[in-house]
Amino acid sequence: MVFFVLVPLGYPLLYTYIYSQEVVREIEVAACDLSNSKESRKFLRMADATPEITIQSYCTDMLSARTLMQQDKVKGIIYIPEEFSNNLNNSEQAHISIYCSMASLFYYKSILVACTETSLAMNKNILISKLGASTERQAEVESSPLLSEAIGIANPSAGFANFVIPAILILILQQTLLLGVGMRMGSEHEQGYQLHKKNIYGIAQVVGRSTAYLTIYIPVTAYVLCVVPALFDLSQLSNALTLVMFMLPYLLACIFMAMTLGCFVWERETAMLLFVFTSVPFLFLSGISWPESAVPVFWKAVSCILPSTFGINGFVSINETGASLNDISFEYHALWIQCCIYFVTACVTTNIRYRRKYS
Amino acid sequence: MQSAKAFRRVFAREARIIFSRPIYLMCMVVAPLCTFVLFATLMNAGLPVELPVAVVDADNSSTTRKITRNLDAMQQIGIIARYADTERATDAIRRGDIYAFYYFPEGTTEELLSNRQPTISFYINYSYLAAGSLTYRDMYITSLLANAAVGQAALMARGATKRESEALLQPIVIETHAIGNPWLNYSIYLNNTLFPGVLSLLTILLTAFSITSEIKQSTAQQWLESANGSIAVALAGKLLPQTVIISLVAIFYNIYLYRFMHFPIHDGIWSMIAASLLMVAASQSLGTFLAGLLPSPRWSMSIASLWGVVSFSISGFSFPIEGMSGAIQTATNLFPLRHYFMIYCNQALLGYPVAEAAIHYAALLTFCILPFFTMRQLKKALLTYPYIR
Repeated sequence: MVFFVLVPLGYPLLYTYIYSQEVVREIEVAACDLSNSKESRKFLRMADATPEITIQSYCTDMLSARTLMQQDKVKGIIYIPEEFSNNLNNSEQAHISIYCSMASLFYYKSILVACTETSLAMNKNILISKLGASTERQAEVESSPLLSEAIGIANPSAGFANFVIPAILILILQQTLLLGVGMRMGSEHEQGYQLHKKNIYGIAQVVGRSTAYLTIYIPVTAYVLCVVPALFDLSQLSNALTLVMFMLPYLLACIFMAMTLGCFVWERETAMLLFVFTSVPFLFLSGISWPESAVPVFWKAVSCILPSTFGINGFVSINETGASLNDISFEYHALWIQCCIYFVTACVTTNIRYRRKYS
Repeated sequence: MQSAKAFRRVFAREARIIFSRPIYLMCMVVAPLCTFVLFATLMNAGLPVELPVAVVDADNSSTTRKITRNLDAMQQIGIIARYADTERATDAIRRGDIYAFYYFPEGTTEELLSNRQPTISFYINYSYLAAGSLTYRDMYITSLLANAAVGQAALMARGATKRESEALLQPIVIETHAIGNPWLNYSIYLNNTLFPGVLSLLTILLTAFSITSEIKQSTAQQWLESANGSIAVALAGKLLPQTVIISLVAIFYNIYLYRFMHFPIHDGIWSMIAASLLMVAASQSLGTFLAGLLPSPRWSMSIASLWGVVSFSISGFSFPIEGMSGAIQTATNLFPLRHYFMIYCNQALLGYPVAEAAIHYAALLTFCILPFFTMRQLKKALLTYPYIR
């Protein structure tokens, strides 16, 4: 029961809380300004003003900047060489080097974005003053004749929570079912079957039990997929009917898979040993973080066995881009196929299990 | 002498259990190795290439086609489709066929030629954050290059040299140095912490399992007796065989990562092997601590699962802890994987002096004294607890 109710109730809250700030702001960097000119100071001021980074300290040489980085006080260094302002004033290209710790890609991204944006803004001003254009508009057009804009179709702020939480929520449903059903079947195996109805066929067992599991999981799913995102202001674009229609085969596929695998659990606790660690590989196999197009064929085939793969991709489309069942018909049908296959395997394994016990 | 003999007895007893119950070797060897193989081969490419994107070219001129060709030549993206309008392209994003599309509105070239500053857009599905960021980067670079090419052509038409026009259009150039992982290789970025994370999770779980199942199977007293009634000897004899096997697996993944896959290892492999062995010991200690705290198998293992699974998020290797709330930032210290990750960044990735990581080695050692806090409680539980179904 713990795994059916407490874990699905608590885990999502914990995860969403961990990631609730979505994006990393004000990464601390050190500035090493050997040029110490009007232009270099302007660059650093503008970079400091970006939301991505903040200049934690100004160093006089690279050695002290490196020391700060080793002590983990800063995540990167902006280095402006001595000839920076000379080059600028002589109409030559001037270089700025940035060094960032690759402990996290987010450090790299923040520092790079902050410095690139700053340099683009400064470049534009320099160009405008150098061209001596007659109007501001003319200078504007000459400096950037072709504008571009990036539009986020889903998760426009590129936040981490909006990216990872929907996947985790779907995965939690599958994993808690695996654990819960596995533990249930494990302790049943230990205790002997109190049902002792030899004549009951596997199919009756599977239908009866899955109905019970499904009944428990309908409110749990409603909570996990509707209440949790709402509590933390995550995006929710799903159409209610689409979501219900999609979650039905997902839950059924998970339940039948859990009942199939549960037959290999001989002891209550081994379910935990066998299933808990799979969450991380399953998450990666779904293609949410490592893009599906880059998944090797073999692992793509493996991922097709798991309801979570289709569940995550389908739910992300429904929830984040407002997809209809028609848009995700591939995932939807795949889940129904899994449902049928796992239903058969669950019946077969249950049958074998009972027969072995009573013969 | 007495206790040495008792220790050998428990050790041999535990070795018998390990080899007679498949679940032990399954958790210590098979499961970690399968996970290693999965992650290592899954991210073999390092950085995904040819992510599927589409183009909507409502202008269809030689200029937009040229930009499209440049876009297709970018390493991380590959154009797999052309759609007539943004509606259809958006549908393709919803279906999950493409991660992003590039849009040229009608009249782009005409506006460009008449200095009216047209805007091209790229639409990106950030639900897939890694794929979204990579496609964004390539699309952004393509746009900047296209912009610069047009500007340069205009300047050169007025008699500027190539060099002069470059200095005019881009007076400040940013040079990026990604320290430790200049290739932005995802495999290096993630696998260095995913492997030990899985191993740590399984270790905490298995330790709690192996101790509490003595209570469950009513063999606890026999276990204590073979250790002459000393809980310290009993625990040492029980855990050491597991330590040996798990440590071998840990050494294996270090050699695999740093010798076979040649991941960056600046301060030598020994610093990482030391960190891995300490992490194994810390995880076992944590498992023992939990078993003493909650001698029921299901409760200690539930907490162990929680700890192990949460450590993947909280150690900061996927999302930096600077982006988490203050309370969580402090709580990260309670997870062995966090300290392992810090040692890894410091020693292997960035190659700093050992002194900077010493605090994290010390933290891992601190975990090893945890069992002493609950040892007496555990002994009491072993002697008195009946297993409640």
